[in-house]
Amino acid sequence: MSAVQIPKSPKVILGASIIGFFTLMMIVGPYLAPYDPSATNFAPNLTPSASHWLGTTSLGQDIMSQLLTGARATMVVALVAGLVATFLAIAVGVAAGYLGGRADDGLSLLSNVFLAIPGLPLLIVIDSYLPSGERSNAFVIGLIISLTGWAWGARVLRAQTMSLRNRDFVEASRIIGESRTRIMVAEIAPNLLPVLASSLLFTILYSIGAYVTLAYVGLTSTSVWNWGTMLYWAQANNAPLSNEWYWFVPPGICIALVGTGLALVNFGIDEFINPRLREGGLSARQRRRIGMPRRPRLGFTPVRRLPETITRLSTMEPR
Amino acid sequence: MRMLLRRLSLYVVTAWVAITANFILPRLMPGNPVETLIGQLQGRVSPQQVRAIQLAFGMGLKQNIVQQYFGYLGQLMHGHLGVSITLSAPVSSILRSAVPWTVGLIGVSTILSFLVGTIAGTMLGWTRGSRFDSLIPLTTFFQAVPYFFLGTVMLLIFGSNLHWFPVLGAYSSNLNPGWSWAFVFSLIRYGELPVLTIVLSSVAGWMLGMRNMMITMVAEDFVLMAVAKGLPRRKVIMHAARNAVLPSVANLSLAIGLVVSGALLVELVFNYPGVGNLLLQAVLNEDYPLIQGIFLVITMTVLAANLLADVMYFVLDPRTRTEAAV
Amino acid sequence: MSTSSAPRALRQSASSNDEVSIAPAALESSDLVLEVKDFSVDYGWGERAVRAVRNVDLDVHRSQVLGIAGESGSGKSTLVYAVTRLLRSPAVISGGDARLFLDADKNTGSDVRTVDLMRASERELRSIRWSQISIVLQSALNALNPVLRISAEFDEVLKTHRRDMNRHQRRARAVELLELVGLNEDRLARFPHELSGGQRQRIMIALALALDPQLVIMDEPTTALDVVTQREIISELRDLRARFGFAMVFITHDLALLVEIADEIAVMYAGTIVERAPAASLHDAPRHPYTLGLLNSSPPLHGKHHELVGIPGSPPDLAQSLVGCSFRARCPFALERCASETPPLVAIEDGGRMVACWLHDGSATNLPEALRREVSLSKRAAPQPRATKEVGS
Repeated sequence: MSAVQIPKSPKVILGASIIGFFTLMMIVGPYLAPYDPSATNFAPNLTPSASHWLGTTSLGQDIMSQLLTGARATMVVALVAGLVATFLAIAVGVAAGYLGGRADDGLSLLSNVFLAIPGLPLLIVIDSYLPSGERSNAFVIGLIISLTGWAWGARVLRAQTMSLRNRDFVEASRIIGESRTRIMVAEIAPNLLPVLASSLLFTILYSIGAYVTLAYVGLTSTSVWNWGTMLYWAQANNAPLSNEWYWFVPPGICIALVGTGLALVNFGIDEFINPRLREGGLSARQRRRIGMPRRPRLGFTPVRRLPETITRLSTMEPR
Repeated sequence: MRMLLRRLSLYVVTAWVAITANFILPRLMPGNPVETLIGQLQGRVSPQQVRAIQLAFGMGLKQNIVQQYFGYLGQLMHGHLGVSITLSAPVSSILRSAVPWTVGLIGVSTILSFLVGTIAGTMLGWTRGSRFDSLIPLTTFFQAVPYFFLGTVMLLIFGSNLHWFPVLGAYSSNLNPGWSWAFVFSLIRYGELPVLTIVLSSVAGWMLGMRNMMITMVAEDFVLMAVAKGLPRRKVIMHAARNAVLPSVANLSLAIGLVVSGALLVELVFNYPGVGNLLLQAVLNEDYPLIQGIFLVITMTVLAANLLADVMYFVLDPRTRTEAAV
Repeated sequence: MSTSSAPRALRQSASSNDEVSIAPAALESSDLVLEVKDFSVDYGWGERAVRAVRNVDLDVHRSQVLGIAGESGSGKSTLVYAVTRLLRSPAVISGGDARLFLDADKNTGSDVRTVDLMRASERELRSIRWSQISIVLQSALNALNPVLRISAEFDEVLKTHRRDMNRHQRRARAVELLELVGLNEDRLARFPHELSGGQRQRIMIALALALDPQLVIMDEPTTALDVVTQREIISELRDLRARFGFAMVFITHDLALLVEIADEIAVMYAGTIVERAPAASLHDAPRHPYTLGLLNSSPPLHGKHHELVGIPGSPPDLAQSLVGCSFRARCPFALERCASETPPLVAIEDGGRMVACWLHDGSATNLPEALRREVSLSKRAAPQPRATKEVGS
């Protein structure tokens, strides 16, 4: 396999653009924020206006500034957690799949145990014991999230490694006496890339959800601005019931958009991994042009008719 | 049979890990949580409560850590989960009243979500390339929305503004719980919006998984054979779907954990009297014995659900039943 | 015989019998089960389309076993699946006709009728599928639904097409069918993965005969099996055909195997039929250089082993429009005109042989000895080693 080529479908392009947009927001968001997100020097409960695009909170804070500033913490924690979890997943999954035997039994058990324990309750338990100083540390939170989120990736990677391990080209390098490390790095790793990318996307998705949830519950420092704390304050001040949609809807939409972007890119990876998912179909207009009245159906191979037959058929058909 | 036994032993190990983590975690944390806690609750705690806190952390007892551990296991065997600090009641009896709500809510939502997602995924996979395909990105949006946020929006739109659904609580406060038609009806009405929230958030996963498996299955020979046999379309689809659903069922046990995590927060949004709501209260009040008890009960329930899902897989896939299988 | 006057197909359709038809097995035209005319199949659409089957004429007679041989990619499976409308997307039938002539069927009470497969509605196709045309695939493991018991496979077919049968009758029929292929009724309770490859393939055959179809399509039914099982199944198939009289289209790349079971063989290359002849004559005295090559590259089931020689080169790219004979690049006897003129499939001698090769055109005098052999009296003589060398060099 040469370089990984992700099919360039509209879905993937849209997803990548969304992720690009929020990555940019992560980098420049805090600088773009018009005001200090914590400053309470505006009138409370302002509705959106030219000076406050998203209005103000009941404490008189500028919501737009909170959204822009909060992007960084949210995305950084998600990235840290996603990367660490993926690293753990590689370490455990690839080793288990490649080594086999006892090592595989032990490592698989480890990841299966972590898969079976429900993540969020465990996260809440661990987090509730953290001293409040640590709760404001994005990296500590990220690490804890990664601890509950690596197991799925490990499982997928193990399965993929096992199937690769038994393929001819790996067998061949083993026979010619290449070292295990070299086989792993040079032969197996490149073929794991698509699975790895997909697992990274999912762990990031999971991490955003977990972080935002912890913040929403009040288990991270409420003074660090992220989209979850915005929702926490909005909920605490009854914004949903007071119809202050501009307070709690924007952070929720941002979270959902980042997630959608990741999922859309993953469609592309799925289609790469499983060629049967790739679209080979034609649009209705293309079909009509070549004289195929309907979508091809299994068991009814289309018959191309002569042009005059098509026109006659299409005028006869009620649709 | 061997497959089921293997899964069962996995769950036993997992349960042990969860129980042990519950024991070790408080002892790993920096500082002395007991002192901190008693300090925080200054003056508001009775001597019994101090004792309860100390018991929960195995402190104030003249035992070494091994003795503490076995003492803790012994207590668990008898169903003792300690005493709640804030509610001054045994954790087990508090949970007994909360667990049925959560199991009911999440159980119904998960079954509905699985059924709806699987049927929709079957159709999407079969009619692949139709205009319904353009709905897929939309469903991923719902999948990416945090459960609690979607719940809040639904509550706002359909509950507070449109008044389509009664909200907040599990049943009308004018009724006494019991097996009356009015109560059951109220239970259903109040459950609609929370269930809808959980289904909307989780259905896309089942749908996409099923769609992709259907596309894979339709390319198999036995589906072509079903067509060659002149079977009606419905039966041909069933041939493919019957096989395509297997990975979904295999994933069911994994997904339950995720759904539970999300659904706990939906309870918070809708003020549903289940374990999720209780957990959040416990977290806010730093009621450690309650937090720990809830964690254990959730974990055990999820493991039991996992086992159920495994049994279902075992029944559905004949290949797991014969060891001689290639 | 010149190119322009060479008729495309010498046989006439069943409807017109005002001309004398030259049927290979000297059968009457009303004996036709399947008639395919000028049939073409594309994969894909527009400019990227690949024409996998090119203007093929084919007919199958009642109780006849027609073998279709060719390398993989020759279009043999594409042709048959397209005719039955079972070919998957992105295939498109880009031209031609296929008709099925059905006898009166006492089981369904239907009268003698003709089904135009290319214009039939989905409903009509469903009703003739399996009841009139059934299929046996190469891998029975993939063709049987892995989560269904064998009994369910029989039950479903009978339930769909024999509405009047009750549960006990369906069961009895399934047991009877299993007996036909030498299997015990306890196999009915099994799942596909619990059976051996040979058992699975026998079940597929039993299933294919469940509704007394008039045509059974065998797509490499023995390729995945070991040689012993292969032999057993072939002889069983011969017996079953003799007993029930269904027609069979037998697709395989193994020409030697085909000689064992087929009455007549059509050899396909690059989407066209290059030679068609009664099985024994084709085997003993091939007339197309490609047939000769194919015979030399497969071991005979009987008789002396000969030196196996592959055909050098590879089939042409079907995405290009082909001018001239598609085999010329690999043909040891290629003539100049092979590059510019496409040879039609024409009758060459008595006995209903047809070949698409310029070497047999009247003007060609230098017919190689290997393609001039007489049909020997002994039906299954091994080809002579000399021929092998000529092709191999």
